[in-house]
Amino acid sequence: MNGPKSAEERAQARAPEMELIREAQAGSRAAFDSLVRQYEQQVLRLALHLTGSEHDAEDIYQEAFLKAYRYIGNFRFECSFYTWIYRIVTNLCLDQLRRRKTRREDHAVVVSHSGDEIDMLASVSDERSFSNPAKELERKVLGERIQTALEKLTPRERMVFELKHYQGLRLRTIGEMLSTTEETAKNTLFRATKKLRTQLAGLR
Amino acid sequence: MNCEVAHERIVTAVYGELADEQTHELERHVEGCAECRKEREQTLALKVLMAAYPAMEPDANLVARSRMRLEEALDALPPMRWFERLGQRLTNSFASLTAAPVAATLLLLVGAGAGSLGGYRVAENRAARTLAAQRAQAQNQPASVTTAENAAPAEISNISSIVQQPNSHLVEVRYNQVVPQKIEGSLDDPAIRQLLMLASQNSASPGVRDDSVGLLAAECRAGHGCQAEGIRDALMVALRYDRNEGVREKAMQGLEPYVAQDQRVRDAMLEALLYDSDPKIRKTAINILQPVEGDTSVRQVLNSVANSDRSPYIRTVSRQVLDRVPEIQ
Repeated sequence: MNGPKSAEERAQARAPEMELIREAQAGSRAAFDSLVRQYEQQVLRLALHLTGSEHDAEDIYQEAFLKAYRYIGNFRFECSFYTWIYRIVTNLCLDQLRRRKTRREDHAVVVSHSGDEIDMLASVSDERSFSNPAKELERKVLGERIQTALEKLTPRERMVFELKHYQGLRLRTIGEMLSTTEETAKNTLFRATKKLRTQLAGLR
Repeated sequence: MNCEVAHERIVTAVYGELADEQTHELERHVEGCAECRKEREQTLALKVLMAAYPAMEPDANLVARSRMRLEEALDALPPMRWFERLGQRLTNSFASLTAAPVAATLLLLVGAGAGSLGGYRVAENRAARTLAAQRAQAQNQPASVTTAENAAPAEISNISSIVQQPNSHLVEVRYNQVVPQKIEGSLDDPAIRQLLMLASQNSASPGVRDDSVGLLAAECRAGHGCQAEGIRDALMVALRYDRNEGVREKAMQGLEPYVAQDQRVRDAMLEALLYDSDPKIRKTAINILQPVEGDTSVRQVLNSVANSDRSPYIRTVSRQVLDRVPEIQ
């Protein structure tokens, strides 16, 4: 949940945001620009982590805000603006992931794993190892392995895992963003973690 | 609880989304089940492991580049014309209204508008032709276009342009009209309800919003079919976004009966408790939430309010409520 600081900040931010949305709906570019500024960091962060490419993230940013600009008149204050904009972004990201999945299917590399599902704890519990420069490379390799494992998920599993694990959203909100139920989001998260564990088994 | 269910719940619990009772149940199961203990360790390990591929903040160059590209694209878009915006607005405001009568009214309005515009054009053309043919008498030809009588039944909302034809006394004035309408009916009449809902969100006057939200809220409290027509949604919108605290308070009272059964209502109430600028509303939210104070998210919010609310009074009240919770359980 929100820390006290962010609760305070959001309390102050909410009222002017409504004004901005109404002005943007009435055609004000300046108001729309302010909205973009409020959300661009989060949008880029999500797109960047999901696609792993600055170029793709930039494209998603561009398309998402152009869409928002075109359809802001349809925003009816039934959900928060945050959910609304995220819904646009997640849809674009899902499209991107799907396209990429079909492109890669031909030469998918099978990640080898020993079948023995353990050691993960052993390999990561010593957090100090990350601060050791000699282990930097190892960490980089690990990051790549994780990225590969994430790419094995279906786009939807990937999205739910991303929103929950990396963006820290609540399952209920995730369900709302992906136009599905909290229960489905929960099941998808479960499947995703299960697959990731299989993919990353035996990693050290 | 069998292990399959436990495995699912372990994931939910690791991500902090398992309800308290279920957490307790899970704890008991895991204590006595080696397999599930291992499962939990591995799920936790996965969570830690995934941190090795963190989500980075985008760098400033990327942000700047993206912003510039967007601005260029937006500059290149043709500005939205007034009728496109109007269309969007209408779709928006009327989407929730029952389609048929509204569509009929709209058609009528459009028809009437087109008719008078056509008539206006014809008259204008005729006047212009006469002007060309009989230049000498041109100055005596103007008036048949539109006079005050035509505009009388409706109010003129604004004048959009005034053009004088060269070398003549002919002036073309373009204006928009607002046609007032009236409807009477019972509070149970869906058409009346739709208008009240529209008024609760769109009216510029706080008095009208206050009246409509008050009536809708009273309907909800009396249990008069507050389900199907989206009245509850309208009240939630008013609670979240209305600028007038009186309106927000009325909306809140209307929602009170549903706080236990409808999660969305509870969310709206929690948001009000966290973010509403008026301490009175925040306090009412605490009272309304009392019947469901055992709910995990309610307690989280109460905790947050007890620690950080600007008003010492609210902090005290929420703490008192929290202190009582264990007794209830």
